[in-house]
Amino acid sequence: MEKKNNKSPEQSRLRSFLTGDKLKAALPLIGFVIIIVVMHIMTNGKILTPKKLRLLFSQIYYPTIVATGVFFIMTLGSIDFTEGSTLGVASIVVSVLSFYSIPLAIAGGILTGAAIGAINGFFHVKFRLPSFIVTICTMYLFRGVCAYFTTETAVPASNAIKSLDQDWLKITITLAVLAVAFFLFKFTRIGNDVKAVGSGETAARFSGVRTGRVKFLAFVAAGALTGLAAFVNVIKVGSITSTAGNQLETQILISLVLGGLPITGGAKVRFSNIIIGTLMYAILNSGLSILGYEPQVQQLIKGIVFLIFVALTIDRKALKVIK
Amino acid sequence: MDKRTLLVAEGIDKRFGITHAVNNVSLEIAAGEIRGLIGENGSGKSTFCQMLCGIYSIGEGTFTLDGEKLHIRNQVDANNAGISIIVQEMGTLSGLTVAENIYLGHEEPFMHMGVKDTRAMNREAQQILDSYGFGRIKAGTMIDHYNFEDRKLVEIVKATYMKPKILVIDETTTALSQNGRLELYKIMDAIRADGRTVIFISHDLGEVLAHTDTVSVLRDGEFIGTVNSSEVTEDDLKRLMVGREIGTAYYRTDYGQPITGEAVLSVEDVTVPGELNDISFVLHKGEILGFGGLSECGMHEVGKAIFGASWDREGKVKLADGTEINDIPTAISHSIAYASKDRDNESIILNESIRNNIVLPSLNDLASHGLLNGRKLNRFADEQAKNMQTKMQNVGQFVSDLSGGNKQKVVLARWLGKGSDILVLDSPTRGIDVKVKQAIYALMAELREQGKAIIMISEEIPELLGMADRIFIMKDGRINGEFTRSPELGEEDLIAKMV
Repeated sequence: MEKKNNKSPEQSRLRSFLTGDKLKAALPLIGFVIIIVVMHIMTNGKILTPKKLRLLFSQIYYPTIVATGVFFIMTLGSIDFTEGSTLGVASIVVSVLSFYSIPLAIAGGILTGAAIGAINGFFHVKFRLPSFIVTICTMYLFRGVCAYFTTETAVPASNAIKSLDQDWLKITITLAVLAVAFFLFKFTRIGNDVKAVGSGETAARFSGVRTGRVKFLAFVAAGALTGLAAFVNVIKVGSITSTAGNQLETQILISLVLGGLPITGGAKVRFSNIIIGTLMYAILNSGLSILGYEPQVQQLIKGIVFLIFVALTIDRKALKVIK
Repeated sequence: MDKRTLLVAEGIDKRFGITHAVNNVSLEIAAGEIRGLIGENGSGKSTFCQMLCGIYSIGEGTFTLDGEKLHIRNQVDANNAGISIIVQEMGTLSGLTVAENIYLGHEEPFMHMGVKDTRAMNREAQQILDSYGFGRIKAGTMIDHYNFEDRKLVEIVKATYMKPKILVIDETTTALSQNGRLELYKIMDAIRADGRTVIFISHDLGEVLAHTDTVSVLRDGEFIGTVNSSEVTEDDLKRLMVGREIGTAYYRTDYGQPITGEAVLSVEDVTVPGELNDISFVLHKGEILGFGGLSECGMHEVGKAIFGASWDREGKVKLADGTEINDIPTAISHSIAYASKDRDNESIILNESIRNNIVLPSLNDLASHGLLNGRKLNRFADEQAKNMQTKMQNVGQFVSDLSGGNKQKVVLARWLGKGSDILVLDSPTRGIDVKVKQAIYALMAELREQGKAIIMISEEIPELLGMADRIFIMKDGRINGEFTRSPELGEEDLIAKMV
């Protein structure tokens, strides 16, 4: 009998902790602390100086806004690869319209994003295509649109919009987006519906959730938020080149997963995943820059961190193909 | 009995966290015996067998087969030792042929330098199928071509063609029609005649008594005892399982009550391609309307059609006030509830809390000005779950942790909480133990008294006879016979209309 029990109690206890839900729930916070400590030590404390922190924050406004929209899509158990190209196209629209009127530019950005989201949602829901297929296709499509308008020269924005590049405005917009999204997620049936679809779409449908509508609206909302983020992007960068929003989609995906969002979506998502995730990504990013790594090496390191995190946090019980 | 002992289990024990699933169980089974294994949901009978078959690791204790101690680490080990299992769920792989399914994991005889000889495999598989009398199933055909029942038969072939010393049949009959069951019983008898052994798990005690030699009873993970099937009655077994006297009231005992003339729902010329063919009927207030038939007769689609869940439906489903039901949200907001046969996929969200499962259909009622109050939702869910006496730690617990009976309680709790007046219950007691079954029957009778209308779709004929005011028997998507509740009505009357 002893032979059969080849694992000692300590080992099995450790094992159950390592595979247990408690650790999984705590991992994002643990990772957050580890990344800060590691970066603090490796950069000799340079990362936590006020100047660097200010720079760090200036980098997270528009990713946070985008991540908030994608959060709803990933809660559904779906995925969206179009954020980068949507941001590019919407930024062009914002820049062009900024010469006429700022409110018009904002509205134009949001509508452009919402329209792209509607295209994604339409194909995903009506044709029942998996979202990663649809959005990979539309990613190429809108990357192409973006390149078409920016090949000759960069698209400039008006001086009026550039003069809005102030921290208080960007902070206000970001916090407002987070607050509204939190409210909708926590206190209306929207949050329950998206989680229900993510946990079990068929059962959600049989419980009266209009699953098609919920999914479509999530894509539209995520697109619209990316459009709003385009406005924040334009006031910061001033002119749009063909690389606008390049690889934003992977950045958002990595951020949310680092923040603890289960890649399968569903009941175990937490709104805090957005905030922890985007902060972690920003710290990792700026730490690697301070350390002077080449962008290629940075990408490699981020890839490894991402892989380890997914391997540790994924809920294998709920694992199906991502919708 | 002076038969040779085949299997000895000694001190078998298993814990899942704080749950003591199997508690120091020791028993012996003889060669050439069909042993029933019964117990309520969560009594440990499945866990016990799954340890024997290598699905779960053995916590403590030993199994000895034919005098040799077993070292089983996985299902392949168990197969090689001569133990195989047929499970309740679908165990065949789609996308493979029948032959590939039968030989899954045992392809070596057909491999020549890494290349599979498909023709030889199909030929041998077909011979095996023919020898079972399943010649109509073709070995070279994709498994997806066959219906649920035929696939189950393929699984039975897969589990038995290697002539295992012990065959475990875990709740398989609930997935089979009368015909399929008869085939399975034949195979069980053949194994016994061959001097090998069957362990037969079922909630249907009548079936257990009719087809086993002996019955072992587990309760709360503990071994209670083994009795000879010929010497006990169903009531004796129920007593052993529950540990106390169960009242005689199981089904309804009233007869001759007239059905109210008040129609609450009418179904007019409903057709669902491939499923239903021009179905019309009226459901009355305070009535339990039963639907029965063979598993492919279309009766399960009736429930979906009423609930607005059919993908492609013609005809009308109308409430008394003329409201037409064409989609699920309309059905729910007009007081129709639906509990699916496919409980884990359609009735509840497994990876969600009990709370969120219960509140989901009622969210619009619970919101004030579109706002949800977490405490109010908790209180609502807690109240409904406790009304149904759901066994749980708290409403935050995930439904995936619950046993079949408790899952069904959550399903009923959500619709009772919603206050639905028309309840469509498809196979409401499927895979559920005696005690919860009794509670569900009592609840149905009570709801009927309150004037609610219930449609009960069931593959269990005694349940239809015992509970329904009227019974429709379906065949090939049509209503083939209508019966009114009566003590004279017997199983054979209904079966005659099914086949």
